[in-house]
Amino acid sequence: MTTDWDVAVVGAGTAGLTAATVAARSGLRVVAYDRMAPGGQLVNLTVLHDFPQPGLVSGASELMAELVAQAAAAGVTMNFAEVTRVHAGAPPRLSTTDGEVTAGAVLVATGLSAGRLGLRGEEELVGRGVSTCAGCDGPLFRDRSVAVVGDDEWTADEALELAGLASTVTVLVPGEPRWSAARAERLAAADRVEVLTSASVVALRGSGVLSGVIVRTAGGERELAVSGLFSYVGRRGPAGLVDGVPADAAGRLHAGSGAPAAVGPVFVAGDARAGAEQSLAAATADGTRAGEAAVAALRPADGGLNLRIIDPTHGVLPEDEGAAAGAPAGTTDWTQVALFSNSKPNATELLQGMGAKLRAHWDLPELGFASKESASVPADGDTIDWLAQRYRMVLVAAGD
Amino acid sequence: MELEKRGVVAPLVVTSTFLPLVQAQAKARRVDPRVIVVPHPIGGLNEAELAEKIAFAAAALLALADEARGTS
Repeated sequence: MTTDWDVAVVGAGTAGLTAATVAARSGLRVVAYDRMAPGGQLVNLTVLHDFPQPGLVSGASELMAELVAQAAAAGVTMNFAEVTRVHAGAPPRLSTTDGEVTAGAVLVATGLSAGRLGLRGEEELVGRGVSTCAGCDGPLFRDRSVAVVGDDEWTADEALELAGLASTVTVLVPGEPRWSAARAERLAAADRVEVLTSASVVALRGSGVLSGVIVRTAGGERELAVSGLFSYVGRRGPAGLVDGVPADAAGRLHAGSGAPAAVGPVFVAGDARAGAEQSLAAATADGTRAGEAAVAALRPADGGLNLRIIDPTHGVLPEDEGAAAGAPAGTTDWTQVALFSNSKPNATELLQGMGAKLRAHWDLPELGFASKESASVPADGDTIDWLAQRYRMVLVAAGD
Repeated sequence: MELEKRGVVAPLVVTSTFLPLVQAQAKARRVDPRVIVVPHPIGGLNEAELAEKIAFAAAALLALADEARGTS
């Protein structure tokens, strides 16, 4: 059976990159898809507590960089198209925004969507008080009050991170906390943190920006004045992504990391799997199991060696990649300069300030401008085309 | 990064916190971006703090831009 890839991994977070690396190290042709960038939840975290082992602390960015480096060294090909559907069959087919591909085995490791409360006006307030990333947006709430909604380890970590910035942090736990005793001790020791159990947010307050939330507890309802709301509940798995694979109420897929789904050589790893522990250590272990299972599934039935001719140029960048290309075609010149904002708070202002200095330095006319609709979505292809055709230089706010 | 692959000089403004992330993305995308690193954070700064960041970042930008134009 000839396929485009031996293994296609959907999602390049901790579980996905780990699984991809395991499979590639066995000599398989592996592609890892992620519509945004590799890293998964690590992109949203700064400090990792109790990793790589209890009592230790490590940096999320460093771990992510290591996972990416290991995958690249193993020969994994990254692809930034979005996988919109996995069709069961022999072989499985993947519908992507770049077209359709086939693979001998598919590993689904998409993780979960961002937390949402499902309240009226919530989407309009995303980026205007509603957030799911303390590491990214915490500084916006320095010396202001914030609320955090959730009950797990991640909730506790985000609350602790915010406690170093905000004036008060109210943790609203829908039921009882599920975080560890060590997290509970840290939260109890934090002066600015208050934990309310059996508490739910029933409404948001604010026009244009968040100004408060209505909290319901056993004692009734009251308004809590907060400028920031960080929600880690209501996260959804990739239900419906894979034909024929059932999901639980949270959209997480019922399939094992070590055993294929009933529909064929499709494996699920990490937080996307129903019943997953949702910890970094568990994601790593899950990814390893899934990668090994895919290797086993593709092993020849007679148990013989799966010999493969390796392209001797593998890992060598094609001539048109890996370095900045020359001047673009057309009539662009150095007076054609633009700014491209990621739409995060102050990013546009920073670019405009830098652009003004460059205008004065080079005596430029007005600068072009473009912005992503949201920091959490990839750049629009049409916008990239327009910038590439129209401008010689584009100053980009990429990570802040 | 896609812009650089298409021949546009596209300096990326990145805070120190997100530098490892951008570096990892660059490696995965097999590009070698021009990066201007500024201290984290950018969001939440007042006008004076932002002006300080702009002055810091602009100094790096002007040097990078002159070099890019000089070699084009």
